Amino acid sequence: MAALRQIAFYGKGGIGKSTTSQNTLASMAYYFDKNIMIVGCDPKADSTRLILHEKAQNTILQLAAEMGTVEDLELEDALKPGAGIFSPEMPHGWINCTESGGPEPGVGCAGRGVITAINFLEEEGAYEAEGLDFVSYDVLGDVVCGGFAMPIREGKAQEIYIVMSGEMMAMYAANNISKGILKYANTGGVRLAGLICNARMTDFEYDLAWALARDLGTQMIHFVPRNNIVQRAEIRRMTVVEYSPKADQALEYKELARKIIHNDMKIIPTPLEMDDLEALIMKYGLEDEADVDNIGKAEAEA
Amino acid sequence: MFILGFHFPAELGNNVPDEAVVAKLDESGVDVSGINEIKMFTEYHGQNEELSYTKKDTFMFKALAHYIKTAETDYMIYTNRYQISELSKRLDSDDETMALCKKFDSMAHFKITAA
Repeated sequence: MAALRQIAFYGKGGIGKSTTSQNTLASMAYYFDKNIMIVGCDPKADSTRLILHEKAQNTILQLAAEMGTVEDLELEDALKPGAGIFSPEMPHGWINCTESGGPEPGVGCAGRGVITAINFLEEEGAYEAEGLDFVSYDVLGDVVCGGFAMPIREGKAQEIYIVMSGEMMAMYAANNISKGILKYANTGGVRLAGLICNARMTDFEYDLAWALARDLGTQMIHFVPRNNIVQRAEIRRMTVVEYSPKADQALEYKELARKIIHNDMKIIPTPLEMDDLEALIMKYGLEDEADVDNIGKAEAEA
Repeated sequence: MFILGFHFPAELGNNVPDEAVVAKLDESGVDVSGINEIKMFTEYHGQNEELSYTKKDTFMFKALAHYIKTAETDYMIYTNRYQISELSKRLDSDDETMALCKKFDSMAHFKITAA
């Protein structure tokens, strides 16, 4: 039996991380018969919605709060089998889902939920499920705070895929996450396994994403084009893979899934300085370099 | 590292030599000798275009013919298309191929078949 692989999808909030991760993991299960556990590490608890056909009703933190303590919680209360083609009863691979959840907005530390969830799943033997091939963490990563860095810091996730696009802040976040990986690479063994460009379809986006990947020392493992079918499937709370498995977009996710399954390129990244990141964006022509005299001036003034 | 769908071992790093990609294409054993013309159909924001490509002595032709023979459908995976263009710009030089590279670099959706 192949060793369990623990992967994580990080990226700027709103970049399409949960959509990309769920569609990719769905492809790994459906086309390549991989058995997967998804650990949603976002307080929004939407990392498993497309696999469950509903938003997870009971996050680990919610359940623990209701019961008074996490020690009273049972694994089957928090870990749900995927719906439809991802159910264990169906042929192909299965997907089990859990969400860490988070505190009410403005109250407490959201990262604490991640720590609590992973500790609970380990203690309850979720990682020892028979036939489990992959554990996948879906983590928001603008800031790489201590809690959200938990899968990196503790060496839980061994390979990190950063979902990004050709936008400045998405690239900034990707670089920042790489700094987090670098910090813990030697203690926890975590590695950067590639960038996934969830394209906004801006000019030179492929070149820009690839240039960032190259400078970080990694690969741009796949360029996922924008396609309305993703939204149509999401309205039905489904992945494209389940909604329309022969669609062009499903083939994109299938190819990304194949690459992740066979990926052996896991590196310690070399993050960029901010000036170098800005220079990269200038180089690919998305922005003209600002004349020093024009900084802070409106278009009409400059 | 993955280029044109081929896997290159991690020890090659993220700067795989072009010759290694060409060698993979040659070693793949896919017979493309019967293909003399490649047709492509593009769509972007409702604008459609049909393209024909016949330059058999180029890397571009070899890569596209290989794609046609090995892909599941006529849809062109964006990553592969961009990578073909990137390599072709270094390995080919004629105007027709460079013009096709420019089209490949766009955001358009491509379908591809052998004529």
